[in-house]
Amino acid sequence: MSALGAVFYRESKIRATNVTFIFWDLFYPLCYMLVFGVGVNSALGSPFAAAGVDYNAFFLAGVLGMASFGIASNTSWSFFLDRDNGIFYEMLTYPLSRSEYLLGKVLFNVLIAILQAAITLLLSRLLFHLPVRWELLPLLLLGMAVGTAGWFFFYAIFALRTRRNDVFNAITSIFYFVFLFASSMFYPLEPLPAWFRGAALANPITWQIDWLRYMSIGLGDFHRIAWEALAFVGFAGAAFWGAVYCLQRQE
Amino acid sequence: MSEFALEVEKLVKVYAPRGKPAIRAVDGLSFSVPRGIIFGLLGPNGAGKSTLLRMLTTLTQPSEGSARVLGFDVVRKALEVRRRIASVIQETAAELFLSVRDNFLTYAKFHGLERTTALRRSAAVMETFQLTEEADRKVQDLSGGFRRRVQVAKVFLAETPVLFLDEYSTGMDAILKRQVMSLLRAETQKGRTIILTTQVLSEAEELCDDILILNKGKQVARGDLNTLKLLSQGVYEVAMTFDRLPEGIAADLQALVPLRYSVDQNTIEIAFKAEEARVLEMVSELARNRRVVHVEVRGASLEDIFVELMQGREAQ
Repeated sequence: MSALGAVFYRESKIRATNVTFIFWDLFYPLCYMLVFGVGVNSALGSPFAAAGVDYNAFFLAGVLGMASFGIASNTSWSFFLDRDNGIFYEMLTYPLSRSEYLLGKVLFNVLIAILQAAITLLLSRLLFHLPVRWELLPLLLLGMAVGTAGWFFFYAIFALRTRRNDVFNAITSIFYFVFLFASSMFYPLEPLPAWFRGAALANPITWQIDWLRYMSIGLGDFHRIAWEALAFVGFAGAAFWGAVYCLQRQE
Repeated sequence: MSEFALEVEKLVKVYAPRGKPAIRAVDGLSFSVPRGIIFGLLGPNGAGKSTLLRMLTTLTQPSEGSARVLGFDVVRKALEVRRRIASVIQETAAELFLSVRDNFLTYAKFHGLERTTALRRSAAVMETFQLTEEADRKVQDLSGGFRRRVQVAKVFLAETPVLFLDEYSTGMDAILKRQVMSLLRAETQKGRTIILTTQVLSEAEELCDDILILNKGKQVARGDLNTLKLLSQGVYEVAMTFDRLPEGIAADLQALVPLRYSVDQNTIEIAFKAEEARVLEMVSELARNRRVVHVEVRGASLEDIFVELMQGREAQ
């Protein structure tokens, strides 16, 4: 536990030196909703208008998923900073296991993701009068925590296997495009062509967003979402194992 | 608990870069190091010193063989090893975005020190390493030399029984280097074992109780300074000062086929391997028709031993 605490302490110390970045992390999903959500809602309307769900409400889970994905990607990018500073290799000789190192690194960022979700929900309710299901809030925050950690472990595999940060940047750009657009983040899957829907259903971010959507506004089929949640936990576990494996093989 | 700080058996590390021939960076090393001494690893660039240290500090895994630190296997009990070591890696490593003080406090946290202890020790270490005035500056705003100081100073915070230092004195001025050397001596008095690599042979000569010389991943020689000197019997070092530098002296020195020589103002220094009787003849030859102010004949220094061993290895 003290090893986890030490990595958490380090991450928080480093992040605290950049208050602007923390502020942006906490409020950018809300900014996204204010610009993109309001724009689409006003110009195109909502695919679930008949059911009384406007686009802002639909997009709420998407924006939380995007934030979780973004925090994970930024956190994994810090491996490159640590490598450039030399501290990465020194830290690998500190008294902590490789899994403690990874978990500690994501812990602070999970906390940020949870705070971010709470702020976004609260202000969405106040500004957009979204029908937030407060009784499911703990499960929604759990989805943010597991989601952020899972995506961080996934990204860490690539960050640890890639030596050049321009290559890693190219990878993250591709992932942003593929994962975010081939998912239920911006639109419902039902009207999509079969191949597109199939790809989106196999996409772990769809699993996370479907969970967040159900837990935030109650939209979706709970049985399917429960299976998707299990699949996401499996994905996060496999990514964790892969990241630890890569970390053990750093030379 | 093992009586040895280090036990290395038939250790091999092979790097196999894609599309290139495999490199045996460490090639079948076996040795052990008792506790409480300063153990030096010497060798030219590419000898395998840093690779060996990376395996011993659990940064990289051996391809074959085994290594134990205080009885704990570096692969199977890597975490137990890490709990007992502190290391300065060859590359400069510091938390650039944190202040000097926060670098120390963060390091202390990893090593489980209480905050009050961490603050007290940080203050003392900063004083020793002349970092007190920089305590609140971010490390990214410091020069390379100061960054290295922060990195080396950190290991004096924790009281781990084994300390690994990979070319720790790089970028340090002479005065600080002296201070660190006496600090290291004091640490061994407390029972700490120090394993260091260095390119500065005079530093190793002064500091190390036991030395392992490596070349191309293999052991070339092992022992304390006196043992190594025995390996180099017949190597002499001559220093001569003339009233003025004689013309053609460089050619005369080269003709003696020295292990090394240097000319500095009016003084020449030459190391060569010869029979004892021949040494005086050589000195006489160099002094002929020249006015000599000072002559000194010494046994081999660690540098001479090192050069001779390396040259012998190349010849083989």
